[in-house]
Amino acid sequence: MRNDLSHLPPATPDDIRAMVARAGITLSEEHMQQFIATWPQFEAMVRRIPRGFGYADEPAHTFRPTRLA
Amino acid sequence: MDIAFLTIAELNRAYARRELSPVEVTRALLDRIAQHDGKLDSFIRVTEEVALAEAKTAEAELMAGNRRGPMHGIPYGLKDIVETAGIPTTGHSKLRQHHVPQQDAEIVRRLKAGGGVLMGKLATWEFANGGPSFDLPWPPARNPWDRERLPGGSSSGPGAALAAGFLPAAIGTDTGGSIRGPAAACGIAGLKPTYGRVSRRGVFPNTFTMDHIGPMTRSAEDISLMLQVIAGYDPADPGSEDCPVPDYAASLGQGVRGMRLGLVEGWHDALGAHPDLGPAIAKAVSVLRSLGATVELVKLSSLRDYTDCKTTISIAELYTIHEQDLRTRPQDFGRILRNRVLPGALIRAEDYQAALRWRTALTREQHAAFRQFDALITAGARGIADPAKPDNPDRLVTAPSITMPFSVSGVPALAIPCGFSREEGMPLSLQIAAAPFQETTVLRVAHAYQQATDWHRRHPKLGE
Repeated sequence: MRNDLSHLPPATPDDIRAMVARAGITLSEEHMQQFIATWPQFEAMVRRIPRGFGYADEPAHTFRPTRLA
Repeated sequence: MDIAFLTIAELNRAYARRELSPVEVTRALLDRIAQHDGKLDSFIRVTEEVALAEAKTAEAELMAGNRRGPMHGIPYGLKDIVETAGIPTTGHSKLRQHHVPQQDAEIVRRLKAGGGVLMGKLATWEFANGGPSFDLPWPPARNPWDRERLPGGSSSGPGAALAAGFLPAAIGTDTGGSIRGPAAACGIAGLKPTYGRVSRRGVFPNTFTMDHIGPMTRSAEDISLMLQVIAGYDPADPGSEDCPVPDYAASLGQGVRGMRLGLVEGWHDALGAHPDLGPAIAKAVSVLRSLGATVELVKLSSLRDYTDCKTTISIAELYTIHEQDLRTRPQDFGRILRNRVLPGALIRAEDYQAALRWRTALTREQHAAFRQFDALITAGARGIADPAKPDNPDRLVTAPSITMPFSVSGVPALAIPCGFSREEGMPLSLQIAAAPFQETTVLRVAHAYQQATDWHRRHPKLGE
């Protein structure tokens, strides 16, 4: 069975306002309303990302110091 | 001879036979742009003086027998996120409306060295991401097949300009499908090369780990000619790969006899696809089989999976690029870009890392398929070009993408036309992908297909 976060309840408009404020961004009320309508679709995508990878499952781009020499 | 729709290969032959000259071709295309682009808005800026000067230089060199290569004397355009020294590079955005770069992007340096003729800067979705937008300093480009429709994006200007016969070549960029989507919508050819094959230096970033620069033309053969000039290692681009550049045109004519092709099951034939797409792809498969290829079904993860993975990575990286402007001048973003950048502020580090680890797994899945098949085939788009309406729902979040799987894996993928929808008369598209740095394989399949079909030789009427 897939291990993801899609079972979590969607963020409420108040949650979204708080997250935007924590990011240090100030939006007009019109822009905030647009974003409140948009975020749930992105949130659903992010929450479908599978979790619980093995310890050796590395991210797609690993640090390669020789590239920076 | 209709200069408007001559290919790069045909122009090269005409120059060699002295039947046409670069100045003659450049003037003819500038006239055509002046006559018709007011209806299509594919250009943000036409660089007429630069074009005529470069055409005159190319003409003199060719007349003297000093040919620099396949782009010598060939007019081309640049998506307006590609930096050009002394020429404004706006990103189609109010945020960079007056930005004039000091230096050329590496690909511009290569095209200049190859004797290309810069015709202008082309429309894009805002910073190759937010679009189609109707609230920017310039209008969105329109589709030459139907002005009431869009040319796809984000390389919207290149797609429209090529289909309209304004240019034989353009540079586009592709992070999630921004070359292949417009190629599909406009009935042209567009290649997203392997990640690291073409330098990104001097091109405004979108998603650092998925940004690809590539050629857009009207045939696979022309893709090979333009790619030859822009491909190659750039030590100043940290994503650039130092591996040999083959002669892309040399193997074009080898055909597909004996090649093993995998038709991806459940992608082009998933729910929501245009009803004419399935039959068009089936017909393309028949053509490839008749040319000697074997075609078998292959199963990969769903488009939904690839789209979720790509989008999560993209919004995190995109936010880091635009964070400062978003904090200080959010009102200067177009609505769509602002609402695509903002989610990156809410992504957690563990979400981004989980998506990157999934990217590894999804890429390995494709590598396993490439051990079984020489190339994978699917559609270049699941539908036809969208209507040009400001209130269209944002495609990024409403439907899974058929181009993103090969953005996630960074492999070469090419879109070419494979038919037209019956009711709307709009182009349909075939997508071909191969293992990393196997552009030659992708081009071989596409060229063989185009030698057996004529979809790429059909052009829209612009009211001449």
